[in-house]
Amino acid sequence: MSTLRFIMDNFNEVLYLSWEHVWIVGIALLIATPIGVVLGIVITRHEQFASRVLNGANILMTIPSLALFGLMLPFLAIFDMGLGKVPAVIALVLYSQLPIIRNTYTAIKNVPSSLVDAGRGMGMSKWKLLRELEIPLATPVIIAGLRTAAVMNIGVAAIATYIGAGGLGVYIQQGIARVYPEMILSGAILVSLLAIIVDGGMALLERVATPEGIRVQRKLSR
Amino acid sequence: MISYESVTKIYGKGNNTVTALDNVSFTIPKGEVVVFLGPSGCGKTTTLRLTNRLETLTRGVITIEDQNIMDIDVVQLRQRLGYVIQAIGLFPNKTIAENIAVVPRLLHWDEERISKRIDELLQMTNLDPDLYRDRYPAELSGGQQQRVGVARGLAADPNILLMDEPFGAIDPINREEIQDEFLKLQAKLKKTVAFVSHDIHEAIKMGDRIAIFDKGRLVQYDTPEIILTQPKNKFVSDFVGADRALKVLGLMRVSDIINRKPKNIIQGADRCQEALHFLNTKESRYGIVIEDNRPIGFVTQKSLKYEDGPVRDVVEPYPIFLREKTPLRDVLSSMLMYSTPTFCVVDGDKNFAGTVTYNDIQKAVKASYADETENVEIEVSS
Repeated sequence: MSTLRFIMDNFNEVLYLSWEHVWIVGIALLIATPIGVVLGIVITRHEQFASRVLNGANILMTIPSLALFGLMLPFLAIFDMGLGKVPAVIALVLYSQLPIIRNTYTAIKNVPSSLVDAGRGMGMSKWKLLRELEIPLATPVIIAGLRTAAVMNIGVAAIATYIGAGGLGVYIQQGIARVYPEMILSGAILVSLLAIIVDGGMALLERVATPEGIRVQRKLSR
Repeated sequence: MISYESVTKIYGKGNNTVTALDNVSFTIPKGEVVVFLGPSGCGKTTTLRLTNRLETLTRGVITIEDQNIMDIDVVQLRQRLGYVIQAIGLFPNKTIAENIAVVPRLLHWDEERISKRIDELLQMTNLDPDLYRDRYPAELSGGQQQRVGVARGLAADPNILLMDEPFGAIDPINREEIQDEFLKLQAKLKKTVAFVSHDIHEAIKMGDRIAIFDKGRLVQYDTPEIILTQPKNKFVSDFVGADRALKVLGLMRVSDIINRKPKNIIQGADRCQEALHFLNTKESRYGIVIEDNRPIGFVTQKSLKYEDGPVRDVVEPYPIFLREKTPLRDVLSSMLMYSTPTFCVVDGDKNFAGTVTYNDIQKAVKASYADETENVEIEVSS
């Protein structure tokens, strides 16, 4: 109850921090998506790089977020950007790569070879095939990757408060420092709530982005 | 016209090579359907895929309409050759109309022309445009999907059609139907068609010529009749099957062996004893009875012996009549079913046109095998 009171009393600040949180995650996703999708497609055309790229993205994921912030600090400090939102966004972009690249790669690979053959045999260029067949069929799976990345990043962004990026993590960090349970709880609950909402929104997007013909196919094969 | 000259395809490099196609030469004449036939891995599909450069030639020359395919831009080449594969080749994210429109759009036709062409093609392949234009492939049956596949291959009205087991994924009843439809269409359109199949029945039915492949070599290239009656070696005769005499009969029609002036014709008004005498002089055991130029049945010497009235009173009617275009296989089947050794052929007005006897059929089969070499064994598999 007292947590709810805390949120009500600081409603303007809550709104601001939530917005800041969404902003960091959103910008990171906007930057990460084209990079990841393009990389994912490129490695379907150049198989020899596929395992290397995927392993690289995998390794990035294993670095704890606080360590990653620390590692970037000296480099970004050269441009006077060691702290704040820039390193936070960069870290989120890096973390997003694995789910986005992996899903894009798998989805494009899973387009039946008979369809690709039919398209090639009819004289479609590689680019045309990609645009008219492979990407439409892969879109739902690619968006599922974005969904994973977004939800994960909401959690990571809460930690970015330690390098002064702001966001809802501020409540958690300051709550711990001040031993103020209502504040910690508010931060934790709001971050979770945000994650749930974003997850739901992305699920909706996934459904909308599925080509109608595929939706029909799924409905009929059920 | 498509011509293959010393076409060779080798996969792999160094010591690890597989020869998929070994020095194959033949020509598909303009307006004919040539079926590439053989077991899997024989090179038939490779030959087709070399034609639109989905595979790259190792050696040899392929020309279409007297142009070396290597001199044509690969994308343009493929747009010039209609391509039909098994039903799974339809794009599931596109409607039927969009699927058919793929090549016309690549060729930058204007939308109005494309739309007209889609309706035309759907009608041609017996699909109601109003009903199917905006459906998705998943909503169609296998047979309907394959019709769309054919329509898509024909979309830009190519002179040449490459078909890779186009009717392979359809159930037998629908397959017969769609094969018949395609033959009707082909009779009108006269495309040059390269058609891959592993089914000898399909090959005999669809092909003006059949190219039989085995282990990357072209074993025999001939018309279905010659393939059936004069298989070049044991591989071909085995592949064609021990029942090839029956398959030959499927290709021949009543008009090929009809006897238009049989000697044992009796008029229905003749008296039985006269008829008996007539049959005796002609050394015939039975007579065909005709009234008003229509066959009404047959009589045997036995049935006439103790009768005195007009022949029409003792006549036994024929269970069925044949038409000139009836395949001999059906005639033989009827003969076995009704144990009648002779049938009458009638024209559209049921007028007598001639007869077909069991002996005639046997003679025809024998004649078609006349030049067959002795050393071909026909194995009867158990």
